[in-house]
Amino acid sequence: MSDLATTPVAAAPPARAAVRRAAIGQGALRIGLPLAFAAAVLGAWELLVRLYAVPEVILPAPSAVAARLVSAWPFLLTHAVPTTLEALGGFLLAAALGTALAVLLAYSRLARLALYPNVVFFQLIPKIALAPLFIVWLGIGSTSRLAFSLFIGFFPVVIATATGLAAAPPEMLRLCRAYSASPWQVFTAVRFPYALPFVFSGLKIAVTFAIIGVIVGEFITAQAGLGYLILFAASQAETALILAAIAALCVVGLALYGLVALAERLVLARYGHR
Amino acid sequence: MAIALRGVRKTYKSDHGPVEAVAGVSFDVADGEFVSLLGPSGCGKSTLLMMLAGLEAPSAGHLAVGGQPVAGPRRDAGLVFQDATLLPWLSARENVLFPIRMMRLREEAYRERADRLLATVGLRDFASRRPAQLSGGMRQRVALCRALIHDPAFLLMDEPFSALDAITRDEMGLVLLDLWERSQEPGRRKTGVFITHSIREALLLSDRVLVMGRRPSVLTADVPVPFPRPRAPGVQDTPEFTAIVARLRGMIEHNLRDAA
Ligand SMILES: Nc1ncnc2c1ncn2[C@@H]1O[C@H](COP(=O)(O)OP(=O)(O)OP(=O)(O)O)[C@@H](O)[C@H]1O
Ligand SMILES: [Mg+2]
Repeated sequence: MSDLATTPVAAAPPARAAVRRAAIGQGALRIGLPLAFAAAVLGAWELLVRLYAVPEVILPAPSAVAARLVSAWPFLLTHAVPTTLEALGGFLLAAALGTALAVLLAYSRLARLALYPNVVFFQLIPKIALAPLFIVWLGIGSTSRLAFSLFIGFFPVVIATATGLAAAPPEMLRLCRAYSASPWQVFTAVRFPYALPFVFSGLKIAVTFAIIGVIVGEFITAQAGLGYLILFAASQAETALILAAIAALCVVGLALYGLVALAERLVLARYGHR
Repeated sequence: MAIALRGVRKTYKSDHGPVEAVAGVSFDVADGEFVSLLGPSGCGKSTLLMMLAGLEAPSAGHLAVGGQPVAGPRRDAGLVFQDATLLPWLSARENVLFPIRMMRLREEAYRERADRLLATVGLRDFASRRPAQLSGGMRQRVALCRALIHDPAFLLMDEPFSALDAITRDEMGLVLLDLWERSQEPGRRKTGVFITHSIREALLLSDRVLVMGRRPSVLTADVPVPFPRPRAPGVQDTPEFTAIVARLRGMIEHNLRDAA
C-alpha cells in the first residue's frame, strides 16, 4: 500500500482567516437577523400606535410598556419571586418523580403494561382543565400551584425518559450481558447515558409547562405572583402593566429554560454523541 | 479452548409461530483453531454464535467450550459484532476498557494493555478520540481491541467487517490476521469463530471454513485451508487461493440451487 508511488498533492493552505470571517458572519446573521426582525416589529408597533393615536388601554406603545417596566420594577420583582420559586419547585419535583417513574417503566414489565397507556392518555388530555380540582383539593396556597405545575410537567418527563431508556442499541446491551455486567452497571454505564438527550428534551418541555401550571394556578386564585398581577392589572384596565408583567414572565421563563439548556450542554458535553 | 457442538437446534418463538433458525448443527473447533462460518443470509449463523457466547440457549443439542457445557455468558469469550457498538461518549481507550469495567476488574491494570492493543491496530494516536471522530474501519478496530482486552481464550466474531467499504474491509482482514497471529502464543492459544459472507475473507483468516445451507441451517461442507501461517497478504493472489475460492463458491451456489 505505502510502497505505491504517490505524488503529494500540494494542498493550498486553508484560508483560515476567510473561514473564521465566514463563521463570524454566520454567527452575526443567526443572532442579528432575529433581533433586527424583532426590533422592526417593535418599531412598527410604536409607529402605528402613535400614528393612529391608539388609546393606551387598548394597546400601549412599546415605549410606554418599557416606562411601566422601569417604574414598576421593584413591584414586578416581588411578584416574580413566588412565581419563579413555585415553577422551579414544580419542575424539579416533576423531573425527579418523572425520571423515577420512567425507570420503573423501563425495568418492570408489569408496571409498563399497567401504567404506560395511562401515562400516554394523561399526556394527551388538556390538563389545564384540571387546575381547579387542585385548588379544591389543596387550597389556595402555593401547595396547590406547586402540585399542579408538578402534575403537568411530569408527563413529558416520563414519556421522554422512558423512550430514552429504550434507546440503547440491543447489541450494546448484549455485550454487557456477555461481560456479566450487573443491572445497575448497565443502567449507569449504558442505558441512562443513552437516555440523556431524551431526558433533556423532556425536561425542556417540562420547565415551560411548569411555568404555565403556576400561572394558571395564579389566574384562578392567588394573592401574589405574576399571574395574579396580570389579572389584577386587567381588572384595573392597566394594559401597560399587563404587558410589563408578561415581559417579566418572559424573563423568568427564559431564565428557567436557560438553566435547563445550560445543564443539557454541560451534561451532553460529557455524555453526548459527538 | 476447544469448541464442540452436537445436534444443536434453535427454534425462536415469534408472532408468526415458531421459527426454526438452526436445525441440528454439529462441528468441532480445535484449541487454537480459527474457523469461519460461511452461509446465506438468515441461515442462523448469528444465532449459532449467540449460543456459543451463552447469550441464547439452544432448544436442543449440546454446546461445549473447553469441555464445559455452555450455561451462560463466559468471561473468557471476546465478542465482535457487525456494528462496532462503541459507547459514543467514551474515548477509544475507554471503550476498549469497557469490558474490564463491566467485569468489575481494576481498570488501571489494563490501561497499558489497552494502549498496546490500540497501537497494534494503528490507533496509537487516536486513543483519546471519541467514536464520532473515527472512521468506520477505525471504530471496528477499537471493537477488536475491546474484544481482546481481557485476553479471552476464544473470540466470537459476527460479520465484523460487513458494514465497511470494500477497501477498508480488505485492510481490516489483514489487521485481524496480524492481530490473530501475534496473539497465538504457545501455551495460550486462542480459538476463533468468524462469521462472514466473504469467501476470500474466510480463506485469508481461517484454518478451516464451514459452509452452511439455507435456513433451517445444517452444515454442508467442511473445507480445510492449506496455507501455512504466518500468512502474508500475497497469499490471496496465489492460484491455490483462487482455486479454493472457486470451489467454495461452487459449493455455496450448489446449496442455493438445491434449496430453490
Ligand atoms: N430473536 C429472534 N426471534 C425470532 N426469530 C429470530 C430471532 N433472531 C433471529 N431470528 C430468525 O432466525 C433466523 C436466523 O437468524 P440469524 O440472525 O441467526 O441469521 P444469520 O445467518 O446471522 O443471518 P445474516 O447473515 O443475515 O446475519 C432468521 O430467519 C431470523 O429471522
Ligand atoms: Mg447475522
